Amino acid sequence: MASPLEQFVNNVRTMSASGSFRELCDIIGKSDEVLQRNSAHLNTVLETLDIQQHSLGVLAVLVAKFSLPQGTNDIDKSTMFQQIHDFINNCNGEQVRFSPDLYANLCHLLTDHLVEIKQPIRGIEILKKAIRKIQLFDSQLTSIHADLCQLCLLSKCMKPSLEFLDTDVTGIGSELGGNNDSKHFLLYYYYGGMIYTAMKNYDRALYFFEVVVTVPAMVVSHIMLEAYKKYILVSYILHGKILPMPKYVSQVVCRFLKPLSVAYHELATSQHAAIKHRETFVRDKNMGLVNQVLGSMYKKNIQRLTKTFLTLSLSDVASRVQLSGPAQAESYILNMIEEGEIYAMINQKDGMVVFLDSPEKYASPETLCVLEQQMAACTKLHQYIQEMDEQIQVNPQYVKKSVGSHDEDIPATSQNSKTTYSM
Amino acid sequence: MITNFDKLCGELEKQELEAPNGVASPTTYSQLLAIYLYQNDLCNAKFLWKRIPQNVTSSNPEIAAVWAIGQMLWKKDLPGTYQALAAYDWTEPVANIIRALEEKVRERAFNLIGRSYSSISLDTVVAMTGLSRDAVLHLCRDRKWTLNEDNITIQPTPPTQPAPLHTSSEDQLFKLTEFVSFLEN
Repeated sequence: MASPLEQFVNNVRTMSASGSFRELCDIIGKSDEVLQRNSAHLNTVLETLDIQQHSLGVLAVLVAKFSLPQGTNDIDKSTMFQQIHDFINNCNGEQVRFSPDLYANLCHLLTDHLVEIKQPIRGIEILKKAIRKIQLFDSQLTSIHADLCQLCLLSKCMKPSLEFLDTDVTGIGSELGGNNDSKHFLLYYYYGGMIYTAMKNYDRALYFFEVVVTVPAMVVSHIMLEAYKKYILVSYILHGKILPMPKYVSQVVCRFLKPLSVAYHELATSQHAAIKHRETFVRDKNMGLVNQVLGSMYKKNIQRLTKTFLTLSLSDVASRVQLSGPAQAESYILNMIEEGEIYAMINQKDGMVVFLDSPEKYASPETLCVLEQQMAACTKLHQYIQEMDEQIQVNPQYVKKSVGSHDEDIPATSQNSKTTYSM
Repeated sequence: MITNFDKLCGELEKQELEAPNGVASPTTYSQLLAIYLYQNDLCNAKFLWKRIPQNVTSSNPEIAAVWAIGQMLWKKDLPGTYQALAAYDWTEPVANIIRALEEKVRERAFNLIGRSYSSISLDTVVAMTGLSRDAVLHLCRDRKWTLNEDNITIQPTPPTQPAPLHTSSEDQLFKLTEFVSFLEN
C-alpha cells in the first residue's frame, strides 16, 4: 500500500477515535487526489475501516471509488448498489453530517448509476432513508431530494416522494444553500411540479413551478425555461388563463423566458395554436399537457355558462360550448358535478339543466375545522418569520451594514455565482 | 370480506419497492392495482400499470383484466366498467378486492345520480349501476326515490350528508384560547 494512502487510513482511525471530525473533514478534502490515484487499493482500504466507527473515512473512499471516470479503471459497478445501500443503512448520522456535500455526492452517484442501468425503482427506499438520516429536521431541503424525485419520475412510482413534497420547506441543507450551485434546488421544484402534475394536483404543481421561475437569477437556466412552459400549461388547466407572475421575479426571467415560449402564449388566444405549434410541443414533450389544456377549455366554457344562466337546455349547452350534441354535454356536466367543479341538476325528462349556487353555507363543523387548520398554519408561519427576524438581527454582517455607511461597503457577494437565494 | 385495504396497500407498496431488481411478484401487482382502483386513485393506478414490466403483464392476464376496469373508470364509462368487472373470472386474493370495488363503484354511481339529476330515465339508471331493472326499482324504493306514473322516469333525491363529527367543547375552547393568546402577544 502506498504511503500517502496509509497515512490517510491512520488519520481516519486516530481522528475518528478522538472525535475530531472537523479536522478529519479538512484532511479528507485534501486527500481526494491521493485516493483517486490509488484506486486499485481502495477495496483494501474499505476492509480496514468500519462503517459505523469511521463513517467519514468510508464515505470519502466510496465517493472516490465510484466517481472515477468510466473506462480509466475497471471498477466493478455491480457491487455499487449493495455497498452504498449498506453504508447508508449503517453509517453514523452524526459523523456524516460534518460532510453533507460528500454524502450528497454519494447519493448523486448512486442515482446516476441506477438511471444508467435503468432500475430507478430500486433507489427509492434507500434515498428516502438517506434523506431522513442527514436531515436535521423534517422540513429541511437537501440536494438528495432532487435525486429522489428524479428516480420517482423515471420509475413512474410517484407516491413515495409525496411525503417529502407535501412538507413545506423551512430550511436548506448547507450543501445546497449559500453560494453553491442552485441546480439541485431548481431540479427539486421542477421535478416536484412534474410529479404533482402527474398526480393531477395542479394547485400544488403550479406553486412548485412558480418557485422555480421566481428564484432570483442573473442568467436564465434551462430548468427555469422548461418550468415556465409547464407553468403556463398548468395555469391554463387550472384557471383558464395565464396567471400573472409575482412582482419579485427577476428581470432576466421576464426578458428571456417570454420570447422563448411564444407558442405557449399563443395557446390562450387561438384554438389552432395547438396544431400550428404541434412540433414545438412534441419536441418539448408537453403534448399530453397541451391536450389536457384543450379538454379543460370545454369545462371552463361550461363554468362560464353557470355565471350567466340559471336554466339551459342540454342542446343549448352543446351549441354554446361547441360540443357535438346534448348527450356529450350531459356527460361533461355529469363529470363536472362529480368533480365538484359546478353545482347543477340535470332533468333528463325535459332535457334541461339547472345551475345552482354552491350549497356550502360556511356554517358546518367542517368549515370550522378548515378555519382552525388555516389559523394554525398562519400562527406557525408567524413563528417562523419571527425566528428568522431574530436570526437576522444578530447576524454580524447585517449589523455592520445597518450601522455603517449605506453606500460604500456593500460587498459584491453574488457577482460571480449564477444565482443566489436566501432563506 | 371487509378487510383493511389501506393497510394492505401500504404493505404491497413496500413489497414493490424492496423487490430485488425492482420487479415484484405478479400477485403483488394485481392486488395493488385493484386496491388503487378501489381507492379511486386512478393516477397511481395508471402509473402502476405503466411501470409493471411487459413480460409480467403478458404472462398474467389477471393484471391486464384489472387494468381494463381501470381504463373504463378513467374514461368514466360506467356501463363499460361493469362489463369489465364481469368479464374475468377473478381468483383470490384479487377477487375479494374486486367485489368490494364493484360495490363501491355502484355506491358512487347512486350518489352521483342523487346529486346531479332531478329526473332520470330508468334505463339510464340501469346503465349507470349495472343492475337489472327489478334490482334498480328495489334499491330506488330503499332510497325513497319515486317512480313517475309513466313508469320510466325516476325522481332521485340528493343523498343525505353524513352526520357531522362533533368536537368536544373543551377541545374548541382550547383552540380558542391558543388563538387569542397568539393575537394578544
